[in-house]
Amino acid sequence: MKLLKEKLESIFSSIQVSILKQDRLIISAQKDVVLSILSFLKSSGYAHLALVSCVDWLDEREFELVYVLSAYMQKDDEYIDKEKANIILKTRISRENPEFLTVISIFKNAEPYEREIHEFYGIDFKGHPRLTPLFLEREYKMPPFRKDFDTREYVKEVFDKIPFVDNKDGKK
Amino acid sequence: MRELELYFGPQHLGMVGNFSITLKVEGDRILEANANPGYLHRGFEKLMELRNWIQIFPMVCRINVIEPDSMEMVYSMAVEKLAGIEVPERANYIRSIYLELARVGSHLFGLWAYANMLGFDTVAQWAMYHRDLILDLFEELTGGRVYHIYIWPGGVRRDFPEGFNEKIVKTLHSIGGCVPDYDDTFFNNRIFYERAKDIGKITREEAKEMGATGQALRATGMKYDIRRVEPYAAYDKVSWDVPTREDGDAFSRIWVIRDEMIESVHMIFKLLDKMPDGEVYNKVPNPFKWNIPKGEAYVRCESSRGELGLYLVSNGGDKPYRIHFRTPSYPHGLTVLEKVLKNESIADVGNIMISLYVVAPEIDR
Repeated sequence: MKLLKEKLESIFSSIQVSILKQDRLIISAQKDVVLSILSFLKSSGYAHLALVSCVDWLDEREFELVYVLSAYMQKDDEYIDKEKANIILKTRISRENPEFLTVISIFKNAEPYEREIHEFYGIDFKGHPRLTPLFLEREYKMPPFRKDFDTREYVKEVFDKIPFVDNKDGKK
Repeated sequence: MRELELYFGPQHLGMVGNFSITLKVEGDRILEANANPGYLHRGFEKLMELRNWIQIFPMVCRINVIEPDSMEMVYSMAVEKLAGIEVPERANYIRSIYLELARVGSHLFGLWAYANMLGFDTVAQWAMYHRDLILDLFEELTGGRVYHIYIWPGGVRRDFPEGFNEKIVKTLHSIGGCVPDYDDTFFNNRIFYERAKDIGKITREEAKEMGATGQALRATGMKYDIRRVEPYAAYDKVSWDVPTREDGDAFSRIWVIRDEMIESVHMIFKLLDKMPDGEVYNKVPNPFKWNIPKGEAYVRCESSRGELGLYLVSNGGDKPYRIHFRTPSYPHGLTVLEKVLKNESIADVGNIMISLYVVAPEIDR
């Protein structure tokens, strides 16, 4: 773990690396080096992209993209310490102009995750082959997982308009 | 031949669960498949941001309808990690036993779906009956048959009642006694072999590239199991084996599921023998005044379908700031399924989907 930390810090100068307890490595990086860090980590054995997530930091007016990586086994029935590790790579992008590059060229299975984030947070992934809706059926004024989207108000607005069965004809 | 677009599901006999696939077909061959989830999207992750740490539990276990227990586990693990709560030794053993029981139940349910789809109605009925015996155990232990909310941050809700160990052993023996029957009628049956061999094949490299875990990966020969790679609960206290197969097709995946059930039963016996006495629950603060320190955590455990992860962010308040479940069906049902369905026949769509063990509510959340 420490070795990897030193190596990462020597290659990419602008990033912050911290080791959290055992086997957890957190990297905070500028958005322009994320792709090269991901391909570096992939080539050094962390080839399993477990999760792409997004956090909306409303107060700081920023979105945080989170990539969780871990390693598959090298040998069939031997476990080495490296394989226990989880790497969390975080980067921040501005909330006003939410754009980022897709990582499908490095990790194929990022495709549905990026689609989901596009739908829930409205982040535009450049180079993504199909940013079509994945889960939602209705049109939303604002992507629904953003922190300033008020779920309760939305429910009131949309579902209160539907009349009850017994006063469908206008009677109370 | 003419190309057609075919909507497979959600109202289709070959489809299990609320999920649909748009197929582009030429005759009986599938040229392209587009997975189309969303029929069960309930926005749980957003709703959880409005509830405090304990109120989240009823929603957590509804994410995977078939095996809610590993959901409880992964959420408890994340909260314990952020809040720094220790779990008593006995509770760890109980958690492992309980999760393995849930795994057997879930695999039996999967076997029901698979056997039913292939037309083995008798085997399907057996599997459903045997799952019901396990649900009876859960009912006695927790009061609920399907959703239990038994694992809590800090341990488990209550200790095993008196005589419960013997009941587990008796039930598992009566299920295990039927394994030869299952083998004769289903697993060694020529029809099963003909239908499943070389169907939905993925190589190990492809599986790794597409983020597969669980049976989809173990059927290609890799012993990748989070219980082994990063042991939690009491999985490092007893010895057990990770069953694998080499071919990576539907046949191998179903055999891995069968072997895993047997391995789980053996593991439960070993855990019951070694289980220590003591407390099962460490007190946690009053749930209504419980603030969890600022921080983030990614935890993972092995559900019956593969790697189940949870990314949890707390900003120091009494509610989570962001909660994101990494469910195993997500890559299996979207990335792997779309790739594997190419060049297969329409009759095998259900076959491939159930052998990949896709469960729709897990994808939608």
